[in-house]
Amino acid sequence: MDLSLAIFVQIIAAVLLIIALMVGNAVVMVYMERKVAGFIQRRPGPYEVGPWGTLQAVCDSMKLLAKQLYRPGNVDLILYYLAPITAFFPVLLLFLAIPFGPWLTPLPVNDGIVLILAFAGLGVLSNLLAGWASNNKYSLLGAARAVSQTVAYEIPMILALLAVVLQSGSMDLKRITDQQGQWPWEWNIVLQPLAFFIYLVSLVGETNRAPFDLPEAESELTAGFHTEYSGMGFALFFLSEYANMLLVSFVAAVFFLGGYKGPFADGFWWLFLKAYAVMFFMVWIRWTFPRVRFDQLLNINWKWLLPLGLINLWLTAIIVKIAL
Amino acid sequence: MTGCNLGFINPLSVLENPGTMAGDFYSRNFEKKAVPGRIILNLGPQHPSTHGVLRVLCELDGEYVARCEPVLGYLHRMHEKMGEVKTPWQFLPNLGRIDYLHPLAWNWAFVGAAEKLAGLTVPPRAEWLRLIGCELNRVGSHLLWWGAFVMDLGGFTPILYAFEEREKINDILQIITGSRLTMSNFRFGGVCADGDSRFFRLIQEFIPYLRERLKMYKGLVTDNVILRRRLEGIGPIDVDMCQRYGATGPILRAAGSPRDTRQDYPYGVYDQVDFPIPTGPVNDSFGRYLVRLVEIETSLSIVEQALKAIPEGPIMMEKAPKVTWKLPAGESYMAVEGARGQICVHLVSDGGQTPYRVKLRAPGFSNLSLFAEAAQGTILADAIAILGSLDLVIPEVDR
Amino acid sequence: MLQAIWDNIKGLYSLLVGMSITGRYLLSPVETIHYPRQVVADEIMASFRGPIQLTKGKKDPAQTRCISCQMCVKACPGHCLSVTKGDTKAPAQWLYDFSYCCLCGACVETCPTGALEFSHKVYLVTLTREELILDLLADLQKRAAILPESQPVPTANLAPPTVPDVESIGEPK
Repeated sequence: MDLSLAIFVQIIAAVLLIIALMVGNAVVMVYMERKVAGFIQRRPGPYEVGPWGTLQAVCDSMKLLAKQLYRPGNVDLILYYLAPITAFFPVLLLFLAIPFGPWLTPLPVNDGIVLILAFAGLGVLSNLLAGWASNNKYSLLGAARAVSQTVAYEIPMILALLAVVLQSGSMDLKRITDQQGQWPWEWNIVLQPLAFFIYLVSLVGETNRAPFDLPEAESELTAGFHTEYSGMGFALFFLSEYANMLLVSFVAAVFFLGGYKGPFADGFWWLFLKAYAVMFFMVWIRWTFPRVRFDQLLNINWKWLLPLGLINLWLTAIIVKIAL
Repeated sequence: MTGCNLGFINPLSVLENPGTMAGDFYSRNFEKKAVPGRIILNLGPQHPSTHGVLRVLCELDGEYVARCEPVLGYLHRMHEKMGEVKTPWQFLPNLGRIDYLHPLAWNWAFVGAAEKLAGLTVPPRAEWLRLIGCELNRVGSHLLWWGAFVMDLGGFTPILYAFEEREKINDILQIITGSRLTMSNFRFGGVCADGDSRFFRLIQEFIPYLRERLKMYKGLVTDNVILRRRLEGIGPIDVDMCQRYGATGPILRAAGSPRDTRQDYPYGVYDQVDFPIPTGPVNDSFGRYLVRLVEIETSLSIVEQALKAIPEGPIMMEKAPKVTWKLPAGESYMAVEGARGQICVHLVSDGGQTPYRVKLRAPGFSNLSLFAEAAQGTILADAIAILGSLDLVIPEVDR
Repeated sequence: MLQAIWDNIKGLYSLLVGMSITGRYLLSPVETIHYPRQVVADEIMASFRGPIQLTKGKKDPAQTRCISCQMCVKACPGHCLSVTKGDTKAPAQWLYDFSYCCLCGACVETCPTGALEFSHKVYLVTLTREELILDLLADLQKRAAILPESQPVPTANLAPPTVPDVESIGEPK
């Protein structure tokens, strides 16, 4: 790919839009999370700020911006401040490869999923840095959990995605989308239900969400790796967590749910609708289930998801070979 | 080093020698011998899963709890001493504050001990009102435990469902006690307020309602595979261990021993109601969970029987003791079955204005003391689950 | 192996059951009462024992029945009452420190003339601790001035304007 000026400008514009998307997504998700939690628990949720509490997330982010950055004693200064930044920046790159619409891909690359998976691995580094640098035992335990969990859950995730890649014969997210049809029965979820299930479970594990929120399990580790972060330090972790959620939901939508394709009119609205449906599912299970234990979490991964993913990949390979 | 061995640390010395002087007396003297790879973790006193101000020092080997020790005393309010400096009547409101989840059982223990000592007779209607209040209170306590326990395990929603029912119970109990948390409607020789028609109507509506909700609890939590695998086989506590530590209540019953003060040493009108003692099918955390859920149903059936049996009549004995009432000289002992185990009050009086000694035996204290042994060698998350399954109320433990 | 697979399938079904329960509640109406806009029903509040107050006199509602016998002061475990005797039997000053009160009812039950009763003030909020020292005689005058059939007059400190008159539910029936 030759890096001409036009592409450069395109990337800059895309990154700016993506930052706006990340912040907007965090605002929407905080509101959705709290409202859904409220209604599940039979209370109204945010109510006071703005109509139906819609400005609550804005208020919260203002509070986080204005808060003092409190730093506990004996922290590893450079790593302590580096960790939230490392959490935030890789996520920016991840969105570049997502095809938002038929003509709306920030950076059209022909192996986008490799880009996404490569940079998604960086997120765990920030958790590790934060836990190590905080000089807090809870953070350290949380970081240790985060690393082994994220590393483990990447594998079934990749296996599930590989099955779709084998089936469509391309790593380009746009081509994978184009091979699916407009209507739900033409989406990959029909052909790859097992892969979708594996992806759905490992997506919860990968983003450290309940019931797999072991790195920040508050009844055990108070807040895990971000125990000692306040103000914007915490906000960046928060932002990147929601951005990560959005990203894996986008990938789920592209790979299994037809991406930007949908009935009547293709466009980015379908992609967003599908991604937010996946996120709603994540919020729903968070407020329903207890947390699994750590060894169980890894057992689910290594003993069930990984063999299932391999079987699925193998079956897909055979069927693709026969069909071709 | 300042050479000071007490809790006080010079803040500057921490900055000069990071890590060497951190923590207080307990955490610095907890480690028996430095083992590489082991860390001392201080769970509490401010920790989300210790239900208040319990502090547990853990020596962790990775995530395994090699050794742990509860540290008490952060909520010590000298209730026993207050019993010695106040007249029995004035000490009454304290009883509701010892265990804020099952205050009426504590009321009953103290009032019962005083009544035994003075030989007062309680009118039958008052006895039945006491029983109804105590059992409904037990249901409320178990409901809150249920929610808090699931919250310890990471499920946030059930506690709010439990609070729905608990608020209904509070509405009912408020009619006879006037308050919603630290209730105290027991008086020497009766109770202070009679239940009106609304009281009985609300109970009759509540019992079928809760039975319906218990089915929902089963679907949402008890049958949930995540919860079951978190609890099954975790923290087995057998009868022998219960006897060594003096653990009572649902823990002992889950261990398989059908001991219940309400039937072993019946007080009030418990000998006139018929109820089974649930014992656990298993003695692990899940068994303790099941025993408490069955106890909710048992309490409901007791209340149902009481509604049928309650007679009309006075709720206070004639010439009931006044505020300045003096206990006669002597000593008495009363044990009642609280939601957490056997509550005992030993009352010694020399005939003076105030009792000579009031000994309060809190079940939570004995139940907590077996935690160190039960949690040894488990994973941190399991230790939290065991701690939750013991159903601790820290104000009661510290008194 | 097969047993484990079957267990996991049953486990997944139990997760679906849980999700259907929370999903049902997600769509059902909320249970909570949204405080400043809605309040708890009078019926529930009527049995609540709030801070004590002086009962209205039999003949003159503004006149207290208190005879300054100091029985309640002695009975109180929290030492929160102070009754100053005036020239006559009636008290000159009746102070009640609610911050020390444990709402046990010892004063109400010892009073030989029935001059004390529990109020049903649930919404008692103050900004300072000093405001919790209530002058019960002044409170009695204020309550006596409100005729039972008149419209509720909300007091500034005690309750937001939308709260129904808590006095009206406190009257002995």
